[in-house]
Amino acid sequence: MKRCVLPLLCVSLLMMLTSCGYQVPLEDTTIVFVLGIDLDEDNNLIFYESSPVFSKGAKSQRDIYHTKADTIRDSRKFFDAVTGGEVSAAKIQILLLGKRVVEHGDWFPILDTMYRNSNFSINTRVVIVDGQVSDVVNYNPESNALLAVYLKNDIDKNHKRTRTEKGTLQQLHSEFFDKGVTPALANVKKGKKVEVTGTALLNNRGKYVDSLDLSESTLYLFLKHNRKHQISYTTITIPAEKEEGIFHKNDLSFEVKTVKSKVKTSHDEDRFKFDVKISMSVAILESLLPVDMISHEKEIKKTIEDRLKTGYEELFKKVQGHKIDPFGFGIYARAYQYEEFKKVEDNWGQALSEADINVTVEVDIKSMGTVNDTSK
Amino acid sequence: MMNVQGKQISIVQYILLIHGVQVGVGVLTLPRDVAEKAGTDGWIGIIIGWFIATITSLIIIQIMKKYPNGTILDLLKHYFGKWAAKVGGGILAVYFGLLALYSFITEAMFIQAWVLPRVSIFLLLILLSIPSYLLVRNNIQIIGRYSVVVFLMTIWILVLYVYSFKEGQILNLLPLLKEGWQPVVKTLKISIIIYVGFDIAFYLYPFLEKKENASIGVVIANTITMIAYLIITLGAFVVFSPDEITKFNEPTITVLKVIELTFIERLEIVVFAFYIFVMSTKVLPLMFVSVFSTSWIFGKVDHSKPLFWFLVISVIYVLLFPPSVRMDLILAKEIHRISYLFSYVFPICLWGYVLIHGLMKRRSLN
Repeated sequence: MKRCVLPLLCVSLLMMLTSCGYQVPLEDTTIVFVLGIDLDEDNNLIFYESSPVFSKGAKSQRDIYHTKADTIRDSRKFFDAVTGGEVSAAKIQILLLGKRVVEHGDWFPILDTMYRNSNFSINTRVVIVDGQVSDVVNYNPESNALLAVYLKNDIDKNHKRTRTEKGTLQQLHSEFFDKGVTPALANVKKGKKVEVTGTALLNNRGKYVDSLDLSESTLYLFLKHNRKHQISYTTITIPAEKEEGIFHKNDLSFEVKTVKSKVKTSHDEDRFKFDVKISMSVAILESLLPVDMISHEKEIKKTIEDRLKTGYEELFKKVQGHKIDPFGFGIYARAYQYEEFKKVEDNWGQALSEADINVTVEVDIKSMGTVNDTSK
Repeated sequence: MMNVQGKQISIVQYILLIHGVQVGVGVLTLPRDVAEKAGTDGWIGIIIGWFIATITSLIIIQIMKKYPNGTILDLLKHYFGKWAAKVGGGILAVYFGLLALYSFITEAMFIQAWVLPRVSIFLLLILLSIPSYLLVRNNIQIIGRYSVVVFLMTIWILVLYVYSFKEGQILNLLPLLKEGWQPVVKTLKISIIIYVGFDIAFYLYPFLEKKENASIGVVIANTITMIAYLIITLGAFVVFSPDEITKFNEPTITVLKVIELTFIERLEIVVFAFYIFVMSTKVLPLMFVSVFSTSWIFGKVDHSKPLFWFLVISVIYVLLFPPSVRMDLILAKEIHRISYLFSYVFPICLWGYVLIHGLMKRRSLN
C-alpha cells in the first residue's frame, strides 16, 4: 500500500503540469517574424506583422497584417482577432522602424514591451526603413525566401563585410542610454528590391539625424568595432581624380585584411582632443591605374592613405556638425578623462562637436595580386 | 559526541557544499546591486567582501577546533550547558529554517517566472518537495555528493559569461575607482551578504574526513564563489553600458540573452533548466541543517519527521500567503539583516567567548 502512494502522487502531480494541458501545435501558431512600426499621414502609429504559414496547402507562405494602435501590446488585440492561431512574439527577427517614426524623436518608449517582456529575443535586428514600412513588409523576395530570413541574412552579411551596423535591440538600448555614444542602426530602402543602403545615425534622444552610405559605413565600422570581428572581405574603391573615357576610371580596390585603431584622448583649454590612429593591412584586388605597381608602391600607399584620411575627416565633420557621437568617443573620454567627461556628459554631443579630432591612417600593402599591371 | 561513521564527507564535498550554499538567487541581481552603489567599480567590493567572508569562515574553523567531534550544537552544550544549548539550537534551527524557506520559495518563484509561467507556486512547491525530501532525509554525505554532481554539471555556465566578454566594451571598466573608495565601501553591505552560507561549516566540521584541511577548504570554497561572482559581474559590466545596467532587474540573465549562437537562439532558456539545480544546492543543505538541529534538540538521530513537517509547513505557508515580488523583496531585506547577525557577528562573539573561556581555565588551573 505505502509503496503505491508515492508513485501515484507523483503521477497525479505531473499530470497537473502545464505542458500536458496547454500544448500548442506549430500549425496553429502565428509566429511573428517581422514587426513593423510606422506613422501614417495623420501621425497615427501603424503596426505591421508578418508571420509564416505552416499549414499544408496554404496559398500564401506568409500572413501580413497591419493595424492602427497605440502600443505594441495594443496592436496585439487586433492581431489576435484576425489570426487563426495563438500569436507568439518570441521569435521576432526583424523590427522595422519607419523613418517617419524615428524623425520624431522620443519614440524609444514604444519599444518598452520588447525589453520588459522576458519572452522577446533581445537580438532582434532593428532596421530603419527609408520610405514606407508597408513596402518592405509586403516585399516578396523572388527567391521565395521568407522576408525575415532574407532581411536578416542580408543585414548580417553586410555587417560581416562591415557595410552596415547590426543594430540589435540590445545594442540600441545600450547606445541609447550610454551618455558617451549615440545609436546607429541598419538602414534599408525598397527600390526594386529591398536593399541595405548603409547606416542610419540617431541622436541621443533617438531622433534620426543623418545616414551614412555604404562606403562611409565601412569607414565608420572600422573605427567602432575594430577588435570585435575579423574583417573577412571588405573592399574599398577609391575613385579617380580625373576621369578619362568610359573605362579608364583609374579606380583602385583593395581588400582589408586587418584593422587596428587607437584612440588617444586628452583635454586642454576646455576642449577634448582625440588622436585617432588607424592602421590596416590591405591586399590590392583591382587597379585600373595605368602604372607599374611594384615600382610605384610607395605612391599607391600614399594615395590610399590620403584618400582614407580625407574620408575620415569628412565623416568626423559630418558627425560633429550633427552633434552626435556614433563612434563612441565618449567611451574613451569617460575611460581616460573621467573628471572632464563628467562635467559635460549630459551634453556630450555638443562637447564632441567642439573637440579636435586628428586622424592618421597607416596602410601596409601586403599583396599586389598576381599581375603587375594590365594597362598597355 | 556523535557517531560520524559512514557519514564522513571528503574535502571536495566539503568545499562544494559550502560553495553551493553561497550561490543562490542573489547572483541574478548582483551586477545591478553593486552597480547601483558604485557603478562599474562594484566588482572591487566583491573582492573585499570575499576577504571579510574568508576571515570570518576561518574564525568559525578556529572555534570548531576546540570541540572537533561535534557540531556547533554539541559545542554550545559543552560551553553553556544543556538547556542553553537547546535554546541556542532552537534559534539556529529557526534561522536556517527561515533561510531555507526563503530560498525554497524564491526557487519556486524563479521557475514560475522564467520556465513554467502558468503553474502555481503552490504546485511547484509540492513538486519540489518530493525530490527534496528524498535527498535531505539522508545524511550529509549524500547531500555532499549531490552538490559535487551539480557543480560539475553546471560549471560550464560560467564559460558563457567569459564568452560574453568578446561582445563587450572593456573600456566600460575604466577608470578604476572613478569616484574614490567611498562608493566601493557602500557595496560591502551587499557584497558580504552574497557569501553567507559559509556558516554551515559549523555543522560540516565534525563530518569532515581530514580535519586539518578544514581551513584551506573553506578558503577554497569562498574563492570559487568569488571567482564565479567576479566573472558574472565583470561580464555584465562590459556587455552593458554603465548608464543602462541599473535599468535591468536581472542583468545576470540579460547577459545570456545577448549571446547569439547559430544553433540556438535563446540560450537563457537552456541555462535556466540547469540553474534550478544550482539553486537546489543552496536550499537542500540549509534544509538539512535546520531539521538536523531540530532533531538534535529532541535528542533524536533520525530527522525525516521534522523534514516532513518542514516541507508541509512550507507548502501551507505559500497557500496562506501567496508570494509576490514585493513581499519577496521585504523578506529578502529582513533575511539579510538577520544574516549579518548570524554569519558575521555570532561567530566573532562566540570566538571571543571561547578564547576568554580558555584563558580563564588556564589561569584557574595555575
